Amino acid sequence: MSSLTQIDEAQASRIRHTIWFGLIAIVVVWFGLMPTLGGNLSLYFSLMLWVTMATAFNIIAGFTGYMPFGYVAFYGTGTYATAILVVNFDISPYIAIPMAGVAGMVLALIFAPTLRLGGIYFAIVSLSLAVIMQRIMGLAPDDLTGGSHGLNLGAKTNRQDGYYAMLLVLVMALTTVTWLARSRLGKALKAIRDDAEAADAMGVNVQRSRLYAWLMSAAFASLCGGVQAWFTGALDPITAFDVLVTAKTVIYAMAGGLGTVTGPVVGTVILVWVDELIWREFPILNNFLLGLIIALLILFMPRGIVGTLMQRFPRMRRLIM
Amino acid sequence: MTADAILTTEGLTKRFGGLVAVDGIDIELKRGTVLGMIGINGAGKTTAMNCINGLYHNEGGKVYLNGADVTHRTPHEIAKLGVGRTFQVPRIFHRMSLIDNLLVTSLDSTLSDEQLTERAESFLERMNLFELRYNHGEELSGGQQKLLELARVMMFDPDLILLDEPFAGVNPALCRLLIDRILELRDSGKSFLLVSHDLTSIYKLSDRIVVLNQGQVIAEGGVDDIKTDPAVIEAYLGQQ
Amino acid sequence: MINEVLFWNALIGGVVFGVVYALIGCSLNVLAGVLRVINFAHGEFVIAGSFFAFAMLNSFGIHPLIALPISAVLFFFAGVVLYYVLVPRLALSDEPETASFLLMFGVSLMMVSVITWFFEADIRPMNFSFEPINVTLFKVADAYGPGRDGRVLVPTARLVTLVVNLALIIALTWFFYRTLPGKALRAATMNREAVQIVGINIHQLSAMAFGLAIALAGITGVLLALVVPSIDPNGGPDIALIGFIVIVLGGLGHPVGALFAGIIFGFVEQFSNLLLPQAAAQMVGFIILVAVIFVRPEGLFGKGQLK
Repeated sequence: MSSLTQIDEAQASRIRHTIWFGLIAIVVVWFGLMPTLGGNLSLYFSLMLWVTMATAFNIIAGFTGYMPFGYVAFYGTGTYATAILVVNFDISPYIAIPMAGVAGMVLALIFAPTLRLGGIYFAIVSLSLAVIMQRIMGLAPDDLTGGSHGLNLGAKTNRQDGYYAMLLVLVMALTTVTWLARSRLGKALKAIRDDAEAADAMGVNVQRSRLYAWLMSAAFASLCGGVQAWFTGALDPITAFDVLVTAKTVIYAMAGGLGTVTGPVVGTVILVWVDELIWREFPILNNFLLGLIIALLILFMPRGIVGTLMQRFPRMRRLIM
Repeated sequence: MTADAILTTEGLTKRFGGLVAVDGIDIELKRGTVLGMIGINGAGKTTAMNCINGLYHNEGGKVYLNGADVTHRTPHEIAKLGVGRTFQVPRIFHRMSLIDNLLVTSLDSTLSDEQLTERAESFLERMNLFELRYNHGEELSGGQQKLLELARVMMFDPDLILLDEPFAGVNPALCRLLIDRILELRDSGKSFLLVSHDLTSIYKLSDRIVVLNQGQVIAEGGVDDIKTDPAVIEAYLGQQ
Repeated sequence: MINEVLFWNALIGGVVFGVVYALIGCSLNVLAGVLRVINFAHGEFVIAGSFFAFAMLNSFGIHPLIALPISAVLFFFAGVVLYYVLVPRLALSDEPETASFLLMFGVSLMMVSVITWFFEADIRPMNFSFEPINVTLFKVADAYGPGRDGRVLVPTARLVTLVVNLALIIALTWFFYRTLPGKALRAATMNREAVQIVGINIHQLSAMAFGLAIALAGITGVLLALVVPSIDPNGGPDIALIGFIVIVLGGLGHPVGALFAGIIFGFVEQFSNLLLPQAAAQMVGFIILVAVIFVRPEGLFGKGQLK
């Protein structure tokens, strides 16, 4: 291990970037080729979706220290925005989906005052707001939102293009987080996470920095929702705003390690694989095992797989993002 | 308010519910000097400091920095005006590296990342923390964290530095190091507001001392005046 | 104008449910205030209590009011065991409240699975009632038109539950304000470190607090089974949510605050159901939660907040 300390910063930086970009390249090639290799599109789409959600969640949770338990609100907004624009206003999905991203950011702006709260209050309020939105979607005029039955994109559904759109969003998310980890904004966010008041006293514009993180995080979640709508074609208030979406996002991200770049990716891949395995072999025990894994994770590896590794092996920190 | 006062407070008042923690405090800190602030526990010293740098919202009175009214400004605005501080219990960023801890203070700087890193490393060196520069803040001992806080303050080069109990829980060798650094900075033109229970260090460092009791200023003057002030002796119960 | 009979029913319902909510809030508060544990699984413990009463009745023919103390003892021990397994490690994490929230979410998933495995996923009717089934409180003249009187009834079960609940609430208040362990718990809510300095064994106190909270949850479940027509294995989150609304409204950590807030919320809920369309009524609780957190986070009675 002593040889690792002798690596200077420039070398460490090169190693870090090589490892990381190598991983991204593998991801792009692997997922990109899947459709042509006849793989299970739904599974791989799902995998990409959850990795993106976990990575985007990491921005506001791992980097900035806020846990929005109502995170699904952005995802649901994206789903509905896309569906409404495509079904009711006849807008092309290629335009509707970016608009979904914008819708997510607008929602984030509206909810921005909740960031003042922090901690568990923020989490509970976030959860409450997501549930309120779910109810409102069910209440809104049927011809706009489809009421409790939801909407269907019908012929506009496009699994092929939807798949590649997801890949694009995934790469964008990973690139953003990679940039964030090295950037000054990233340092500001981590300082806010560790001690927001001290960060304030050290000259960090806490309000502005965390607003940026909030907007980024929301945008990606709503893009995910939008692409999902395009890929599967159907949505309803229950699944679009399902609290389990937030729960899975949080667990996948935490399992890998919040605050690291590779963490959410690793955590999601492992747990989605485990989930698939359990669901196939022991469908009845599914929820029980999921709950058990969550509990064990919090008790024994609260910093996740990557996070715990970085804690135990300080030298590794310079080589892994 | 005199022209060479870098910090002035007028009638600074802070209440917590029914409790008046700071009750109409007038302080004047002249540029390039060290003002010691002493008083028994609960006298209002840290509260006053928190009001000055914006962490608390004071109900009454005003705070002036270089003659400009900064009352009720946010902490980061005040920091940008050139005010740095340390905390009674060190508030370093525990899951960031020591270098990053320092870099956080200079995020708006026009210097390049390499230049800033070099600068940070030099300050860590001065505090004997260079070897640990990639470790996370939480891996430092209490005394080392105090040194890190001081290095952090030096990093963004403020004109006014608020030190809250810098010597608490610090061993004598570290204490001497801290005192040397503070005097160095004072001689280069920095101004200090120094809160401490360590009277020996306060007497060594301060140009003037202000004494607080129950939220009010009960005495103010040079070191020798304070040592012999009857009100101070009474408040401290014969402490030397 | 609303029918006067409906009005009285809502009022009575408000009191009956209000005291149940008060109890839920109180038990949740012990965990949140003393232990800084945000128990997402609290609803599941209540449901477990309901199913316990159900099982006792259907399998052993045991009267729910007898099942009550049995459940209290069982759940107390379960709580103590759970404390020693879960909580000491939680204290080590970066943010104990969030960690406990997630941990208890995991626990809640496990509990729902276990309950569903034992009892199937169906909603179970609780086929129990007292003799007589209903008690007529009073008549309302001309309620349904001239010459057609209405009667305001309340199911005996609800009346009994109300009395038991009130007795429990009085007992709890006495416990918190007049007994040494109770006072120690209140002190621990305000300042954990200081309590240890005074010489109280914080671990034992905490374990007892956890046991007490879970026992209360179980008891509440038994009482709830008497008050609602059926019990739903998936009804946990709704109950937990009510608990959160009540403790935030009453003031996080304030034992008596939760009691008042529970009753207030009981009224609000019953009257919302009466006056508002169903979907809107469902949102009322959440809106109250958000409003209180923004306008007065320390709640009606709280002096401090959780941070």
